[in-house]
Amino acid sequence: MSSESPGFFRQLPSAIPGLALIIITMVVIRFWIEPWMGDTVILGQKGWLIKVTHLNYILLGIICGMLYRNVIFGGTMPEIFSNGFKLSRLMIKTGIIMLGSLYTFSAIVQLGSMAIFLIGGFVILTIIMVLWLGKVFGLDRSMTGVMANALSICGVSAAVATAPAVEAKASHVAYAIATILGFGILTMFISPFIGHALNLTDLQYGAWIGTGILNSGQVLAAALAFNPNVAPGTAVSVAEIWNIMRVISIPFAVFAITVWYWAGKDSADNTGKKKSLGTLLVEKFPVFVIGFMAMVFLTSMGAFGDVGLKGGPPASDTIKMLRLVMQWVFGFGLVGLGGFIDFKELRQAGGTPLKLGLIVGTTKYVLALIVVLLIKDSLVAI
Amino acid sequence: MNYGNIVVAVDGSDASQDALNHAVELARQRNSPLTGIFIIDTQWADFIGNDWQSAKGARQGFLDYIRKEQEEQAEAARTQFELATQKMEQVSFSVHAGDPTAILVEQASSEKTGMLIAGRRVFQVSGRPSLKALATTLTKKASRPLLLFP
Repeated sequence: MSSESPGFFRQLPSAIPGLALIIITMVVIRFWIEPWMGDTVILGQKGWLIKVTHLNYILLGIICGMLYRNVIFGGTMPEIFSNGFKLSRLMIKTGIIMLGSLYTFSAIVQLGSMAIFLIGGFVILTIIMVLWLGKVFGLDRSMTGVMANALSICGVSAAVATAPAVEAKASHVAYAIATILGFGILTMFISPFIGHALNLTDLQYGAWIGTGILNSGQVLAAALAFNPNVAPGTAVSVAEIWNIMRVISIPFAVFAITVWYWAGKDSADNTGKKKSLGTLLVEKFPVFVIGFMAMVFLTSMGAFGDVGLKGGPPASDTIKMLRLVMQWVFGFGLVGLGGFIDFKELRQAGGTPLKLGLIVGTTKYVLALIVVLLIKDSLVAI
Repeated sequence: MNYGNIVVAVDGSDASQDALNHAVELARQRNSPLTGIFIIDTQWADFIGNDWQSAKGARQGFLDYIRKEQEEQAEAARTQFELATQKMEQVSFSVHAGDPTAILVEQASSEKTGMLIAGRRVFQVSGRPSLKALATTLTKKASRPLLLFP
């Protein structure tokens, strides 16, 4: 556990079996299963399986990943596939960096300013709610700190970033993660139904799930499940801007919770333990966001040709190819992510963390939808 | 009757003290060798595998932080075991690394194990939620005599 991976290139040969399984799975889904679902007639309706269940290659990919781990491999990913599945994180990061090619700086500013308003408001409100409920339920202070950031920002990543700063016990973090993942998976499957039932536009849906779903992996999946297209104005292009806003706020939220945590402790305890905002920024800032911004810069400079924004010239061939590659990269990455969802862990989540997680998670999810519907006329599509 | 080697899972918590006391008593009565084990859970990287966006430093920092807590727990377990087995011969304590459930099931099925003794809540003090099902899994899969304490 002291060193998670021996390095990308040394790890690559051992990743081949897992990568092959992921790639084969997605190829089978996209070339055979999805077309079959689209052609199959059920209850007299062609494509019923897709129209009613809203299952597309993204959700099917995640389901396959979960089935591999929990059913076929009996709960543990075999060593031979393990390193390949670990690379799914790199694939999703690569996909998000490439997603920068959907935006110009002006589009980022336009979407980002809406996102800052919603994300900022929800992060602050959620933190306040969790700190209050933590006190009401008599939850351990460090556990409350972890839950506050995990529920307000981006789930597991925020829990991982916050735990050492508030001296959280391993078991506390484990229960927080299991609660958030369980809730995230549930919302990932129900959100496309709700979105379609309410006739939400991609912009409204992206803004809603980008704000309301707890864990980032599930935000990406739910966006692509609603609309698998990767283009400016689609659900994923909106939700991921929201998500990036959340990710950027991790170091700041960790700093705020650290200050809160140590304020309630004896000052003699915190010598050398409380970190400055600068240190937290260096340690916790997700580097892929810089890659994403570099991609936005290149796109704005016209490095890939026309982006195909609404009312502008159509997208260039390079941009079209990038979008096709992104669909596959996200597909592969989410099969891998499904392989890390362990039903054993989720089944055992419980106690006060679960109660708190369900109350706050549901409130945030529903409230985000209400707010998005209330301000829908102010949301401007790119 | 000699049970052969008695293996007891120890985690330094109050929950494992009962199991340890009974293991010591049994080993004394039967003149059996006694082995205490603690398992450092190496499955945390996999457990947080769903997190794709943490900075490498944040991720590794978290895993090191958990590791440190588990190493402290291992030391607490060793101390607990040594205190309980003072003046006893044929005792040993070992720290394993891996999946606690898999390693305990392996111990509970090994020919070298005469009997496995554990508290139902052993390793939960620093463990993942699935460890709540450890005792149930042991009762299903152990092929050697098994003694579980509440």
